[in-house]
Order: sequence, then C-alpha cells, then structure tokens
Amino acid sequence: MPNYMLLLHDRPMDYSQFSAEQIQGVIAEYVAWRDKVESEGKLVGGEKLKDEGGRHLSGQNGTFRVTDGPYTEAKEMIGGYFTISADNYDQAVETATGCPHLKYGGRIELRETEPVH
Amino acid sequence: MQTVSNIHVKESVDHLFRYHAGQMVSVLCRIFGFEKIDLIEDAVQDALVAALRKWPFGGMPENPTAWLTQVAKNRVLDQIRVDRKKEPAESFLELVAKSADDEQIFFSREIHEDQLRIIFACCHPSIAPDSQVALTLKIIGGFSISEIARAYLSNEAAIAKMLTRAKTRLRETGVALEIPAPSELNDRLESVLKVLYLMFNEGYAASGGDELVRKDLCFEAIRLCRVLAAHPVTTAPRVHALLALFLFQGARLSTRSDHRGELLLLADQDRSLWDKQMLASAIDHFRSSASGTELSNYHLETEIAAIHALAPSYESTDWARILETYEKLQKHQFSIVAELNRIVVLEKVQGPGHALIALQRFEKEYAVSNFNLFYITKAHFLVELSKSKEALAAYTRALDLTSNRPVRKFLFGRIKALSS
Repeated sequence: MPNYMLLLHDRPMDYSQFSAEQIQGVIAEYVAWRDKVESEGKLVGGEKLKDEGGRHLSGQNGTFRVTDGPYTEAKEMIGGYFTISADNYDQAVETATGCPHLKYGGRIELRETEPVH
Repeated sequence: MQTVSNIHVKESVDHLFRYHAGQMVSVLCRIFGFEKIDLIEDAVQDALVAALRKWPFGGMPENPTAWLTQVAKNRVLDQIRVDRKKEPAESFLELVAKSADDEQIFFSREIHEDQLRIIFACCHPSIAPDSQVALTLKIIGGFSISEIARAYLSNEAAIAKMLTRAKTRLRETGVALEIPAPSELNDRLESVLKVLYLMFNEGYAASGGDELVRKDLCFEAIRLCRVLAAHPVTTAPRVHALLALFLFQGARLSTRSDHRGELLLLADQDRSLWDKQMLASAIDHFRSSASGTELSNYHLETEIAAIHALAPSYESTDWARILETYEKLQKHQFSIVAELNRIVVLEKVQGPGHALIALQRFEKEYAVSNFNLFYITKAHFLVELSKSKEALAAYTRALDLTSNRPVRKFLFGRIKALSS
C-alpha cells in the first residue's frame, strides 16, 4: 500500500487568542483524529518541526551557502507532518480531510511518497 | 474532602486546561511575585499553545499537567532572563533556585494554599466588586477575556481594560500574596464570599449571555468555595452555608430548560433529574454550616434553597416555612430581590389577592420600572385573579425589559395564551 505525506502548513500565532477551554477542545480533536487513523492501521508516522525555520542550504559553483530558514517572516510554515498509508489519493484525501488542521485555518499538502526500489 | 472531590472528576477532566491554567498562575505568582502577573499569564498561555502545536504529533505526554507547568515555568524564566538588564543578577539566580525547589508543588497540598492566597488578592477590597469577579475568573479560573465578556454580555475591550486596571491597582497597593492575619480574616473572607456569590448568580440568573459559559461560572464558584471550605483557616460555618446554597441550586441547573432550550419554572421541572450527588453534598455542607452560633444571610438563603430542593414535589413545598425564613432574612439584611421573592411566596400562603396588595406597596416604595422580574410576578398574580387585560400589559412590559432569549420565548408564550 502506498504511503502519503501530509505536510501541515500553519500560522504559529493563530492560537494566541484561544481560551484554555478552546485549546483543550482542539487538542482533543487532533488526538481523536490521530487515534482513529492509528486504530485503522493507517498511521505510519508523524513529527512536529521546530518553529524557528531551520537552515537553508544552497550550492553554487562548487561553494555552498547556509542561511537561516526563509520561513520566520513568512505567514505560513510547515508545522509538522504525518505519514499515512492509503490505497490511492482518494482514500488519502478522505483521511486527510478528517484532520482538524483544516478546520482551524491550516493548509495540508498531500504528497504520495514514491518507492525507489 | 475525598468524597466531595470525586463528584466532579468528569467536570475537572472536561475543564482540565482551564483549571490547570488557574493553578499554574497561582503557583507561579507565589514563586515569581504578583508583580510579574502579566508575564506569568502570557507564559501560561504560551504553554497551552505549545501543547496544542506539539501534542497532535506525538500524542499526549504521560503527565500532561506536569508538562504544561514545566513549559510555563521555563517561559517565565526565559523572559526574566531576557529582561535581566533591569534586574540585579542575584535576584535572577535566587528566582531560579526558588523555582527549582518547587518541582513537586503541583502534587502537594500547598497548591491549595497558593490558590487561597491569590483568591484573597483578587478579592482585595481595594478593587470594585465587578472587577474582583472578573479578575478571579481570569486569574484563578483560567477563563479567557472573551469568555468573561460573553458571560457578562460585555465587550472584550471593556473587560480587558477592567482587568488591566484591577491588576495595576493591586500592584500599586502592594497587595501581598498571603492568607490574611486573623484580625483581618473575617472581613477579607466576607469579600471573597461575596465575589463567589456574585459569580454564581451571574451564572445562574437568566439575564442573558452565553449559556454554556454561564453554567461554567456556577461550577467555578462551587470549585473555589470548596477550596475555602476544605482549608482549616477559611473553613467557617458561613462558607459551608454558601457552598450548600450553590450546590442546592446547582443541582437543578440542567433542568431549568427543556430540550428545546425553553425555560422551565420550578413548578414544571422534573425533580427526578436533579443532580442527586450534588444534593447529597449540599446536605453535608448544610449540616456543617450548622456548627457554632453564626447565622449569616447565607444560612438563611440556604435554608430556603434546601426546603425547595428537598420537597418531593412543587405542591408539597412547605411554603409557610419558606415565608418565615424570608421574613428572617429580610430582618437580617434587606434586599429588594429577596423582598420580591418573599411576595411570590406570600401568594402561595395567603393567595394572589394579598400578594398583589403587597406587590403594589412594593411598587410604590422601590424603583421597579426596569425590573423585569417585578412585571413577571405582577402578571402572574393578575392571571390568578383573572385580570387578563392587566396581566397582558405586565407581560408586555417584562418582554420589553429583557433580551434573554429563553425568557423572551417564555413571555411570548404567556402573551399568546392570554391574547387568544
């Protein structure tokens, strides 16, 4: 079964005005979604990425440059990712649309991973 | 208090973040000082947001509250480090050392002390009662500005301003985070109880606002009153009386409207649905309130609530005893609302004719032109006396005076019934 990556784009400041009550509610929704995907045996993995934007590496004419990630000033950044398994894009989309990330203004980029062997 | 705390386990899981936000602020205020309250509140909010952004990926940590506390504490320390140019170096090191000693604090009974200290600070007489309630909800209750605004039908900017002013006032007054000395304790406890009383009534009264948040106000008042009742310094007969009052009334909270959200009067409520655990706990505290010689307003109000709550049916309510208790209460400390309630009970004992005469006297003596409960009561008596036309006018006046949807619906129903 192919794997799909859900890249979760979000805006880190969006939740600063949420109440404790709302935050707990949102976490409960994410956890419920994650548990459901896991219990269906479709969850392959997932990680949170740090907010600071990372490093950007580029090479040119035999030299390379390392700069701080371009994302700190951007409105959106990748907050983390999940990897799920699905038969096809339709099924992967179905699983991804259940993710509360979309409900709270985030964007999900869905990509099928390609086996190289 | 083991049995009592078990009752609301579900309640506290449902509101874990809110409760814990309040606890974190209480503890961090003791460690870092009340003057850092703004920084502390921000740090607690940051910790909650951090949880929101991390937990979905890795699942919940084994001990969520410890995780949150650690993050919040580190945020405070980080921020102080950033600001350290303004602070002498030793004081920062002292703070670090002090906070390191507190690892176990959230699991100890000292957390109750911390909460108690901050309750007394939020209810300090140097700030106005409305601000005391709002501040208590924000700092100890973990309510957001938007939730407080919704409960009070106010706007967020007004609430935010009120809170900022109240905090500034407390800082300027140099209010200490301490449990008041015995010489002051009585008065200070009184103002705390008044705040809880206002908080509960704001949640309980059908005056408008978001119903869910308002219910939470009631539960918050109950929770804080339990903290007072459980602590050896603040446990007093009147604290138990107030807690019993909240519990007697809280037990019927969910039966006050039907499945369509329409208002149900006491006479129409399904008594079998009243929360039995809350009633049992109310009776316990009502018993505890009877120790000693103290007789407060809260005792009398609780007695009235108890007679209602323990009557098997509306018809079998001991109205004569309720009337007698209202008379005692009015002698003890007169209030217009209680006087109106007394007249409502008078109707049960002496009939609508007598009650209407009392009500007319009441109308002459007090400013009632904006008091919608007065008009509802008047209309009810007039209906009983078959004076439909006058009753209709009174219901219409009551309708003009309230924006609360369930109450308006109720009044529309009455008006429709009278018009046909």
